[in-house]
Amino acid sequence: MNWRLAALKNGFKDYTAYRVEFLMEILGNAIVPAAIQWVLWYAIFKTDGATELAGMTYVQMLHYTLVSVLFNQVRGGDQDFELAEMIRTGQLSNYLIRPVGLIQFIYIRGVASKLLISALSLAIGIVLSVSVLSSEASPLRMIGAMLLALLGNVIHFQIGAVLSAMAFRWEDAYGLLMVKNMAVSILSGELLPLNLFPESMSWIWKSTPFYLYVFGPAQYALGEWTHLEFVRQLGVAFLWIFVLWVLIRFTWGLGIKKYVSLGG
Amino acid sequence: MQLLFKPEIQTHFALKDVSFNVEPGSFVGLIGANGAGKTTLLKILSGLIPPTEGSTRVLGYNPFERPLDFRRKIALVMGQKAQLWWDLPANDAFDLLHAIYDIPDKLYRERVQILSELLDVKQHLQTQIRRLSLGERMKMELIGAILHWPSVIFLDEPTIGLDVMAAAKLREFLKVFNQREKSTIILTSHNMDDIERLCSRVLILRAGELIYDGKPAGLLREGERRLKVRFSLVPDLEELSRITRLPLNQISVAMSERAEDPDLAPETGGVYFTLKQDQIVPVLQILMQHGTIIDMGIEEQSLESVIQRVFEGGIKP
Repeated sequence: MNWRLAALKNGFKDYTAYRVEFLMEILGNAIVPAAIQWVLWYAIFKTDGATELAGMTYVQMLHYTLVSVLFNQVRGGDQDFELAEMIRTGQLSNYLIRPVGLIQFIYIRGVASKLLISALSLAIGIVLSVSVLSSEASPLRMIGAMLLALLGNVIHFQIGAVLSAMAFRWEDAYGLLMVKNMAVSILSGELLPLNLFPESMSWIWKSTPFYLYVFGPAQYALGEWTHLEFVRQLGVAFLWIFVLWVLIRFTWGLGIKKYVSLGG
Repeated sequence: MQLLFKPEIQTHFALKDVSFNVEPGSFVGLIGANGAGKTTLLKILSGLIPPTEGSTRVLGYNPFERPLDFRRKIALVMGQKAQLWWDLPANDAFDLLHAIYDIPDKLYRERVQILSELLDVKQHLQTQIRRLSLGERMKMELIGAILHWPSVIFLDEPTIGLDVMAAAKLREFLKVFNQREKSTIILTSHNMDDIERLCSRVLILRAGELIYDGKPAGLLREGERRLKVRFSLVPDLEELSRITRLPLNQISVAMSERAEDPDLAPETGGVYFTLKQDQIVPVLQILMQHGTIIDMGIEEQSLESVIQRVFEGGIKP
């Protein structure tokens, strides 16, 4: 078996070793942002009596909530924290001596569970697209949106890998990764649709790739983006992946020279 | 506040002027007190860190360049760093290593069978790593490390924390593997049994310097005994040297032998004399004339005691 497939299989077994924990994580990731959004929309539209917010109705907001929950499940995990911790504790040594690409190996092992979740999310999304969502939504759009969300997963890991390389210099990159995750929560669209940002401030989310994780896929799945726009955003995603790949090679190439493999 | 903006950084050289060659297929023991530089040396040899000065070649490769071929031919087992995944059974980890090292299926199955039988852990292959005892886990780590039949194996304290039986089994296995597969093994250990029973050559590091390179037996001087004498009053070593006419380097203060005592403390009134058999009686007679002896005994020299004295600086190898 190819080592990448074997790493996927191994990673999947590792993440599902405790099934209840695995399911709780999925439910937690779905319920918390959905609940926050629902409470907010209810307060604005039902309690306060608004009919539209940033051009979206109550139903449209709820559709966004439903779809964003699906893509939020696919958003990157915590492999970047794992990388930083391995640098700090010297556990990285275990991987450096293996004849595989370290970053690739950690990513593949970590993404295994997300692939299963994305398949389940896609199935749910397809059902939603033909039943609950507006007529602009379709199974084909849902498949495309999931592809974009998966590219977002790659980008998320890559950013984390670049930031975790700071642990070579600072010994710990936990704080930096936490700040990145907080920025992702706001700028990915997992808590709020990004079109709620005032037009004058939209450059903030547009200048990061975080919107490709949840907001972008949701826009395409809900029919808010044209096919042409979707293709353009795919190009943007691949460009980010390339730039970040170069950055990983650079930061890790420098960092590994400072690695001291602590923990005797 | 000053530390926040200007952290104090101290540079410490872990190794100084260490130079040696190892013949293929040999079993070399690397020993030294804590902080002597043993693990640092293994990290350099396995390519984890580069030497700040000088160069290393292992199997013809510069280890720090870590070419894939080099990584396929080496193994590193660190007693204090688990390589297998805690929540998975060993078999799952071995399956992944099987793919990583591209080991043919039949060979892989044979190796897992042979190694797990040799190390007596076959019945635990399907057990989660975290549920295994330390000894069983260490054996699994070793299997995982050598499944690809490496040409060079670096072992950093592989018997740490193991009980006598598990350590003996592991030692036996390493001996057989080294003899049968002609793998070069470099072993660090604080357990002198490991060194005495396995290594044909010993490298001793003290404060980063290589102070001995040779056969373990070379550390033992033939016919020498250690006379341990406990006096009622703590004697002066120079005075003892003068009255016994023995050089000062053959007289040392006996250290506490309590196993739980990490920092050996001088034993009250205890003194060691390193002597030839025929010197023992005359020296004892002189000592009895000059002071009150509470207790005495004669010890054979063990490698462990010799090495301990080397670490303490009492013997120049």
